[in-house]
Formats: sequence, structure tokens, C-alpha cells
Amino acid sequence: MSDTGDPRPSAPVAPEDADRAVLARVSAGELHALDELYERYRTMAYSIAYRITADETLAEDVVQEAFLGAWRNAGRYIEGRGSVKTWFLSIVHHRAVDAVRRRRPTTELPEREDLPPQALTLPDIWPEVAGRLDRDEVHAALARISDVQREAIELAYFSGLTQQEIAERTGTPLGTVKSRMRLGLLALRRTLVGEDGRGFGREEPRWADR
Amino acid sequence: MNDLHAIVTDLAAGFVLGALTPDEERLVREHLASCPEPHAEFAELGGVIPYLAEAVEQIEPPASLRDRIMAAAAADLAARSTAAPSRPEAARPEPDAGPQRSGGVTPFPTAAQRAERARRRSPLTRVASLAAVLAIVALGAWNVTLQRDLEATRGYERGLSAVLDVAARPGSQTAILTPQSGAGPTGLAAVGPDGSVAIVMRGLAPTAGSEVYEAWVIGGDGTPVPIGGFSVGSAGTATFTADRTPATAGVTLVLTREPRPGALTPTMPIISLGTTPSS
Repeated sequence: MSDTGDPRPSAPVAPEDADRAVLARVSAGELHALDELYERYRTMAYSIAYRITADETLAEDVVQEAFLGAWRNAGRYIEGRGSVKTWFLSIVHHRAVDAVRRRRPTTELPEREDLPPQALTLPDIWPEVAGRLDRDEVHAALARISDVQREAIELAYFSGLTQQEIAERTGTPLGTVKSRMRLGLLALRRTLVGEDGRGFGREEPRWADR
Repeated sequence: MNDLHAIVTDLAAGFVLGALTPDEERLVREHLASCPEPHAEFAELGGVIPYLAEAVEQIEPPASLRDRIMAAAAADLAARSTAAPSRPEAARPEPDAGPQRSGGVTPFPTAAQRAERARRRSPLTRVASLAAVLAIVALGAWNVTLQRDLEATRGYERGLSAVLDVAARPGSQTAILTPQSGAGPTGLAAVGPDGSVAIVMRGLAPTAGSEVYEAWVIGGDGTPVPIGGFSVGSAGTATFTADRTPATAGVTLVLTREPRPGALTPTMPIISLGTTPSS
């Protein structure tokens, strides 16, 4: 195999850059690169898929579909519109939500197009944040927002309900659900990111220890 | 600010949380792709999402998931490189293509057909073949396992190690055996530098009575040379090995079903076939 002897770069490479390099090789059809991508994101992907589907088999299928989606459509990732991690996370999330929506007999939703999203982050960059914060800090931030905001966000993101379904489930007007999701996210953002929206930890890169 | 712009802005939180219907989502995407105004709220709200994912309890997937994914990707790669025509022999005769063959007399597959197969074996195809080997190894074991057929699983695994033993020798080559079209028995063959051949197959119909599957080697002169036969039980898997065959680089390996052992000319149709790389 020609790529077993890759010289390791001596200087630490930002994970975003390393991710993009791996994805470029995935796009070129390198199985080895897909394996690397899998190594990097299998835990994140499976954890979120399992959290949403609450079913091991379904979660495995979701993760498989997501990696194969990335394998076939790596070219659709657009640099400059968010990190590979965020892009891939959005693929996994979409697949998982599709899986639970399909399972819910009450939902009558048309199939989504069977392609991973374009870099979901149109038109701006979602700053790369994950991995820079302790999970406890995120839990603490979640605990600090109001119960109804947290409920709306969790029903949306982790239960795969549409905002309309959340309104029906909680007996709340749709406009109120939208506000709760929006205000909840903004409150989380203030706690986690800071008022000015800067300081996503870029000053203090922690990738050097990988 | 027009109405659509306001509507899309109103959908921002639902969009980043994945809480829109597919129609709403499409509306947002299309608008964002064309809207000259900035939609800062999408970045603002979306930046929080990775934190939510981070908050989830981290669970390792089972180790088998990697094999499944890699095998599926390998199969995908193999399919990609040979995708274009599903029945190239019939659809695209290319009499002038490929290396010169000394006009084979047997119509089984014709020289043009074999040349076509060889021509399609570009360097990329060769990489893909390696991938396909992985795919067959992993997928085969996986599918057989799914059938919970212990006999088949063990038989297939034994056969795989026999083939991989030959394939691991320096100078050996591998071939993927597939039906000429559609679904059917598939397998993996390895040809050693000394002409030894090992083949593992699955999905074969069981043989009855004196019936056998016969393996043939077709070299440069286009004449099929029988190298041995084997019978198949209900598991549908089979392993075949032979030493000192005329098999070398660039030969085609073919399986046919014969009414009895010892056939000197093959009985059509071809059950499965594959070609080793030509150098």
C-alpha cells in the first residue's frame, strides 16, 4: 500500500485542516481515507445516532448511511462553509431524524432527497466549537435555560419532531415554539460562546495533544 | 426585506435544529442560495448545534460496523469503476480494443469479449479489484453470517483462508468472479505464480446426482482448459483448489455447470467468471 508510509507532519495540524485533507482523499475514492474519517467520527456519529433513535440497530444503519453518504458525496462539501465535522454531523443528524420520522406512523412526511446536505451552513460559517468544551459545561448551560426552551430544543434536535409537531405535542402555538427554540439557542450561545459571539476557543487550540 | 426573506428568517431556528418539514427545508435552502441579503441568524443559531451533539453521552459503535461500512464502500468503489454499461459485451462490441489475441476458435467468451474485459481493467480498475476483494471477503462473511447458517459460514471462511493463502504469495493475482449479468453466484479466486488456483464461491445452486461445477482457465489462445470440478451442497458455498494449472496473469477463470465430471468442452451458460490482471 502506498499510503502506509505517510510521513507524519512534525507540527500539529489543526483538526479542521486535517479533516479537509482526509475528505479530499475520500472524495478521490481512497478507502483508507474513509477509514480515517471513520476513526475520527465514529463515536460522535454513533452517539448522536443512538441518542436520537434509541435503537442500536437503527443507529448502526444511520451511521453506515452517513459514512456512505460522505463517501459518495464528499465533493459536495464546500470548504469555507463550515467545518467537515459540522458538515458530517449534519448528515448524521438528518439521517437519524429521517429514521425516527419514518418509524413514527403518525408522521406523513415525504422522503427527503436522498443526498447529504450541501454544507449545511449556508451561507455562513458555523464556527468550529466541539471538543473545546467539557460536556459538563454544556449540560450546565442547558440546565440554565428555561424548561420550555430546553424542551423545545430537545424535542426538535433529539426527538426529531418538526416544529409543528412540537406545537401539537406541547399544546403551544407554533409561533411560541419558534421563539422558544430561537431564544433557547441564543441563550445557550451566550453562555457557551460569549456575548459577542467570538472566542470559540481558537486562541487556545487543544489539538496539539492529539 | 421581502416576505420570503422574513419567512426564511423565521424558520432559522427550526432549520438549524433539523425541525422543519422537507418542504420548508427546501424553501430555506433555495432562498439562502440566492438571497443577496446576509442571513446572519443562521450562523448565529447554527453555531450552537455542535455543542448539543457534544452534550450527548459518548458511546462506541460495535467493531463490526467499521467492517460493514468499509465493505460497502469497497463494493461501491468496484461498482463505480465498472458501472457504465451493465452488459458491456452485448452493448459495446469493441473489436479493435485491447491486446492482440491469436484468434480464439471457441466462442466462450470471445477474444473480443475478453479483450474488452482486459481493456476495462485500467489501473483504476485494478485498485477497485483490490477493493472488491475486501468487499467480497467482508460482505460475503457478513451475508452468510446473517443467514445464521453455521455450515455455510464455516465453509466460506475456510475457503476464504485457502484463497487468501494463495493470494498472499508474491506474484499471485486475484480475480473477482461474478455472473455475466444480474445477480448470481460470486466469489474470489487467487492464482499463484506456480499455476495453483484457489476459488471460493457462494450463492451457488446445489448440485444433484453426478452434476458438478467445472472450473475452466482461458488463456491467450482462447481455449477453455478444464482444471477440475466440485459439487455443492445446500449451503451454496464451495471451495476449489488445483495445482499446476495453466493459469497465469491475464487469464479468465470461468465456472460452468456440467452434467458429469470430466467435461472437455464447457456447457453454457457461464455461471460466474473473472479475469486476473494481465501483468
